[in-house]
This record gives sequence, C-alpha cells and structure tokens, in this order.
Amino acid sequence: MTDVQERSGVGLSPAPPRPARSLRARASRWLLALTGLAFFLVCLRLADVDPVELAEGLPTLAGWLVQAFPPSTEGLDLLLLRAAETVAIAVVGTAFAVALALPLCVLAARNTTPSGWVRVPVRLFLNGLRGVDSFVFALLFVAAVGLGPFAGVLGIALHTWGSMGKLFSESIESLPAGPLEAAELTGAGGLKTSSYTLLPDVLPSISGIGLYLLEFNIRASTVLGVVGAGGIGQELKNAVDLLAFPRLATILIVILIMVTLVDQLSGRLRKALA
Amino acid sequence: MTAALSVRGLTHAYGGVPVLRAIDVDVSAGEVVAVVGPSGAGKTTLFRCLTRLVRADAGALEVFGADLLQLEGRALRDARRDLGLVFQSYNLVRRLSALQNVLVGRLADVPTWRVVLRRFPAAEEALAASCLDQVGLLAYAHTRADRLSGGQQQRVAIARVLASRARVVLADEPVASLDPASATAVLSALRSLATDHGKAVLCSLHQVDLVAGFADRVVGLRDGRVVLDLPADRFDAATAHDLYSRTPERTAS
Repeated sequence: MTDVQERSGVGLSPAPPRPARSLRARASRWLLALTGLAFFLVCLRLADVDPVELAEGLPTLAGWLVQAFPPSTEGLDLLLLRAAETVAIAVVGTAFAVALALPLCVLAARNTTPSGWVRVPVRLFLNGLRGVDSFVFALLFVAAVGLGPFAGVLGIALHTWGSMGKLFSESIESLPAGPLEAAELTGAGGLKTSSYTLLPDVLPSISGIGLYLLEFNIRASTVLGVVGAGGIGQELKNAVDLLAFPRLATILIVILIMVTLVDQLSGRLRKALA
Repeated sequence: MTAALSVRGLTHAYGGVPVLRAIDVDVSAGEVVAVVGPSGAGKTTLFRCLTRLVRADAGALEVFGADLLQLEGRALRDARRDLGLVFQSYNLVRRLSALQNVLVGRLADVPTWRVVLRRFPAAEEALAASCLDQVGLLAYAHTRADRLSGGQQQRVAIARVLASRARVVLADEPVASLDPASATAVLSALRSLATDHGKAVLCSLHQVDLVAGFADRVVGLRDGRVVLDLPADRFDAATAHDLYSRTPERTAS
C-alpha cells in the first residue's frame, strides 16, 4: 500500500495520460520562451548591468555604512520638522486630488456619465495626469512657483488626481445596476438617483482608495525635496552631497519610522471602513 | 373594466432569435395576474420590455392609455412613474436603512439638495414609514438593508413601490430566492397592493404551487407565446403539468 492510499483510505487508479501537444503548439511555446529571453538580454545590456563594478563598489559602500554609526542626533528637531512637512505635502496634495477627482469620476464611469462624448475625453485627461509622476510635476512647479513644499503639493495633487479619478470611476462601475434602475423608474433626475443610490455603497471603497493613495503619496513625498519641492528629501540630498553619513543614517531611520507608522494607521483605518 | 396595463402584440428578438412573439396581456386595477412558464419561455424578457429597460421591437404597451413604446424623453419618464418594479434581487441600496430605501420611491418629488444631503421633509418620512408599516417592517425602519433577511428586503422593495404611488406593479420572480415562509409573506404583501391599494399587479413566478390564493388570473408563457390565460381557480395541477412538460399549442381561453 502506498503512503497516499494509507492516508486517504481511497483506492488508487492511474491518472489518464495527458493529451500530447501538437508539434505546432510546442514550437510556438519555445519561440515565446526564446523571445522573452532575448528581450531580457537586450534589457540587461541597455541597463549597463556590470557585476564587476558592483563588486568594486561594495567596499566603498561598506565603508560608508561603518562611518554612518552611530547616527548623528545633531539637528534632529529640523529633521522632524522636515518629516512633518513631508506628511503635510502628502495630506494636502491628496486632499486637493480628492476634491478634483470626485466630480470627474462620475463623468468617467460608464454607468453615471451623461454620454460617451464626455467619458472618453475625461478618461484620456485622467490617464494623461496619471502617466506623469508627481516627481516630474514637482520639477515643473518648482520652476513655476519657486522652491518649497507648495510645489510638492501641486505635483502630488496633479498626479494623484489622475490615479484617483480612474480608481474612483472603476469602483463606481463595479456597483450593481439594480438600485439605480429602481430609482430611475420613479422619474427622478440623474443627480438625485445616482447621488442617493450609488454614493452610500461606493463611499467605503472610495475612502479606502483615498487612504491607500495617501500612504503612497507619503512615500512619494520623501524624495520630492531632491528637486527642491520641500520635505525631508531636501535634507537627504544635502547629507548625500556632503557625504555626512551619520546624518544620512538618521534621516533614513526617521523616514522608515514615519512610513511604517502611516502604513499601520492607514491599514487599520481601511480595515475599519471595509 | 378598462385595463391599467394593456400589452398588445409585444414582440422582441435578441440577435435574430425571437424571444417574445406577439404577447397580449391585460391587467386591471386591483387585479393580480401571475405569469408562469418554463425557463426560457421569455418571462424575464417580457418584464424588461414592459419597463422599457429593453425596447421591444414591435407592439403596444399601454399604461393607463399611454403607449410607452411611442414615448421618448421626458414624456417617457413621466409615463414610467406609473410603473413600480419588484426585482428578484430586491435592488435595495445596501448601506441605506429600510426607511431610506423606501424614500427612493419619493425621489422625484423631493428637491435635489434634500436628496443629496439625505434630509427629507417630515411628511415624506412619515409617508415612507406608513408604507413600511403596511408590509409589517416599521420596527426595522432604521436597520440597514444589508442586515435584513431576503424576505424582509423584498418587503422593503414592495414598500418602496407603494411609496412611489405607481399604479401598475411589475414583479419579476420576486420570491425565486426565498424560503417558503418568506415567499408567502412577500406574496401576501404584493396581494395587498392590489386588494388594499387598487394597484394592478403583474407577477412572474417559478413555483406554480404559489399561484393559488395569490393571483386572480394566470397567464402561461411558452416559447415566447401566451399559451394559456385562465382565472386562477381553473389553473390546476394538470394544466400546470401540461405547460411545463409537453409542447401544447393551446390557445388562450
């Protein structure tokens, strides 16, 4: 008796043989695999991947790591202020994005849009915003409104507007059509029926998306300072430029604590909303 | 007696396949008509055409004399207000209370800002509460719809129709997913719409044994045709068996 038989108490019968694949199917599988491999090799070449350089650089990195200890506590109050600024950029930017995305998501969702002539351009607009990273927007706004966190806020708001509008409209589209149909039958107008029957059911998922994007934006805001758009990224760049490794270590620890706290908090909130 | 709902020669095809072939049905005020027939007979399509969620290819669809198939835009919207729908899946807003769901029936008569802020006039709330009371659920007025049982949700949906003041009620398989006790409670609430409120009720049913004591008349559908139209007391087990098993080309009596 085999082990399986003993454990299950069921008699064994041989599985029927798998039907043989045709030569054509096998050839196309191989072709697909080889194409994938070739593509990856080209990418490796383009990305200048060189293990020798990494090996030669490792001792330098290790040296920095040693120099970084103990992390410096000098100017910690400034760092904490910059960390708070980072959170503020993300919060304000995300809030602006919510205000901008709410009206557009209704126009972009298939089941609430007044017409395809509105929906398609709105979708394209949102996709365009989503395609440009906050960092890139911030770079432009630093030139337009000057150095500082406000440029970061605008960058975060514009990019998040796109992602949020798209995600919000998708969650509207996933709602069941029945309650809306029942309300439309009463002869009431579109704004009344959709706000009354869709909003209550879509609110939890919309708040969840908002919190998720807030988390994401706090991580994104930590590097905005590199282009002069405020927050802890500015200190990060200074520390790297000056090779001030103990300070760099402190900055990284502050970022890590901040991001972990926010993730935990927002995760709990999202769980409570679901 | 003039019919509240009068369907004449209603015909519809999906992608060239005929689903409804010249359906004739009348329902008077205060009358309950049950539509029965095997799966695929066209019951669901009939109901979707009756509300114009689907536009029938041909025929007439008169609600108190207004032909829904001839109307467009605003006139259609106004005429449809006389139709109340009860769905198999209840179609309540899950996160609104029973009372707030009944108020959906009142949306057309309430200013937009009040709807958006969910601040209804006291008179409207009182009306909705009395509708809930009619279906025996006043105690659950502030319970969220998704906390109610299936039978209770369906009765809230019936109260919603009552609140809308629609004079013709269409119920598409309202008890298909309910246990027998809940089904009986739902059907008696529908029955009372006709008996106590003078509505014309057209209701499709999957279980023929529920017809007795509920409907006044039975319309049998098969292959998209009306194959029988009888007073409910003449719809016996043998007739039901015929409708579901063989392919009788019976004419309407």
